[in-house]
Amino acid sequence: MRDHGMGRIAITGASSFLGERFLRRLIREGRADDIVVIDVAEPSISEGSIRFRKVDLTEPAADQAMLDLLKADGIETVVHMAFFTNPRRDTTNAHELESIGTLAVLAAAAAANVKNFVMRSFTFAYGARGQNPALIREETPLPGHSPLWWLRDKVEAEEHAASFAKRYPEMAVRVLRFAPLLGPNVRTFYSRIFDRRVVPTLLGYDPLLQLLHPDDAEEALMLAVFSPTRGAFNITPRGVVSLSTGIHLSGKVPAPVPHLAAYWAVDALYAGGLVEAPSGFIDYVRYPCVADGARAKRVLDFEARYSSRQALDSYIAYRHPMDAAPEARARALEEDDAEPSRAPVEILR
Amino acid sequence: MTATPRARVLPFETKAARAARTRRAKAAAAQEKEDLKRRVEELESKLRAAQRTRRIPEGLAIEMTRLFAAGLSGISWDRVARLLAAAHFAWHSEETDEFGYDPKFTETIRPFLEFMYSVWWRVETTGIERVPSTGPTLVVANHSGVLPWDGPMINVALRHEHPARRHCRMLALDMFALLPFLAPLLSRSGAIRANPENAIRILERGELAGVFPEGVKGVGKAFKNRYKLARFGRGGFVRIALKTGATLIPTAVVGAEEIHPNLAQANFIGRPFGLPYFPLTPTFPWLGLLGTIPFPTKWSIDFGEPLDLSRYPKEAADDPILVNRLSEQVRQQIQTMIDGRLARRRSIWFG
Repeated sequence: MRDHGMGRIAITGASSFLGERFLRRLIREGRADDIVVIDVAEPSISEGSIRFRKVDLTEPAADQAMLDLLKADGIETVVHMAFFTNPRRDTTNAHELESIGTLAVLAAAAAANVKNFVMRSFTFAYGARGQNPALIREETPLPGHSPLWWLRDKVEAEEHAASFAKRYPEMAVRVLRFAPLLGPNVRTFYSRIFDRRVVPTLLGYDPLLQLLHPDDAEEALMLAVFSPTRGAFNITPRGVVSLSTGIHLSGKVPAPVPHLAAYWAVDALYAGGLVEAPSGFIDYVRYPCVADGARAKRVLDFEARYSSRQALDSYIAYRHPMDAAPEARARALEEDDAEPSRAPVEILR
Repeated sequence: MTATPRARVLPFETKAARAARTRRAKAAAAQEKEDLKRRVEELESKLRAAQRTRRIPEGLAIEMTRLFAAGLSGISWDRVARLLAAAHFAWHSEETDEFGYDPKFTETIRPFLEFMYSVWWRVETTGIERVPSTGPTLVVANHSGVLPWDGPMINVALRHEHPARRHCRMLALDMFALLPFLAPLLSRSGAIRANPENAIRILERGELAGVFPEGVKGVGKAFKNRYKLARFGRGGFVRIALKTGATLIPTAVVGAEEIHPNLAQANFIGRPFGLPYFPLTPTFPWLGLLGTIPFPTKWSIDFGEPLDLSRYPKEAADDPILVNRLSEQVRQQIQTMIDGRLARRRSIWFG
């Protein structure tokens, strides 16, 4: 057992996919006694006994409740992961949790003199824009007032974190912007694109994608939580994979749609409840949104083991073993053997 | 499979209870592992059976033959997917760099570009020896011709005439780098979106980059303004060169102005499609797609005297007066080179 000197750790959003993996990892490393899980529902973890405190971040008095908890448990590190990966139809609720909830957690952490504040974020928060550089650095400004609620809430949470980092220099705020996760047990709105035989794409566009394997995400989270650093970090896989390459490698049939029709059609389908994401997400298969992981490598010494392509392979091997490349298939079998009790988990709640 | 026990959310428990629980958990884990081993074996045998009937995608010809042999009865999503994959990977590689450069794709379209270079436009290249063989280098050229053919032609010139066979990463205008069909084409052939961050990244790796500082004003200029260099942006290319210590190579392209004579603009047509201009040439849009075939003019690409910026410190990039002076100096040099070429030129078609 390593002693990282990060004191007691409070985790919000521990029932999210990444949160649960993080929790399991801490338990495996024998740090179960240092963990306090703050959530609306008990975590579905059967091994080890962990402290659970119920707080609903969408409630108006959430900050006071959080503050009492953090003080009572003597928390030194807060890991804030209560974010939705999938877009929610109830945008008000999502806004209350992600933007206002983050504000509450930050305020409580600052008032309780918490030393470390680690927040989960997304490289998608940079937005898919034509003017993005090929590799987006952490200091690139995040898009203000996106029409996409999902993105707007993430950006607001980031802004709250940045402003608290400035106002409370004694609290080390670290923001981890994870590239989209793909791999075994990941089930999200974008991963389901690869579940169908026919994958709709945009006619005449072929963006580069970054896909992060969950193992790498977990490793980066561990490194970031237990290192006394500050600021934002892009957590990225090795390399990129173009959408067309991904589709063809995983044995799918692309169905190109003209982009002018695509936005309209997806909006109509979303209104009808037939697709999971509004048309704003089309930008992510149109424009580049590839982040530069150089800072995480330099400061956190994090280097991904999996490339984007391997992450995709591992997902295909997990979902469609018969379509996968033989070596990815073999790897998937091994992984299954190594960790038997990991159930497929949806993101958050 | 045994049912997993319910979550235990207890702050404290007795030693005996903990020991009992550990024992129970161990037994359950062992049982689970046994079950899993059995499942793995089962899956593996299934896999072996599947591998006998399914193969990894093969070459395009083989896949097509297979589809033919299978006839109508054998057409399935799976076969279609494999055929499409074979067709895709026949001219695309599986890996690209972070800018999307695809070596196999570049190789595939090379014969076509070589044809345009040596047969269609009969490009005459001079001064190639002035381009250094190593180190960060920035080729600065005039932009013309409505469609950015000058980019790939400079690239072919450097690839074929230069002893080091340097690969030039062209900095493409946003309007081209974001246009459907052109966008993936450009990035696969090694172009990157013109953006200071991208350019610095490329030059810091010691690569060769090409830039057209005139931008849209150059490539979309009216026919009556041909060979009159437009303003060189805000001197961004000089700042980049100063920051990275790159050598500037002023380059004059003559002949590209006449490939699509831009007689008039009908920008209102292009606007809904996100185009900054919509040219009316003698052939476009009257002849439809045929109108996009460029005229076979005679081209020349002249690489000029290199501008060594190494005597300036890096901080010089923040001096707007100096940056503008250097930018103007490069512009004048290119204009002089163009004027010299034009004075010697007898014919648009034969040089």
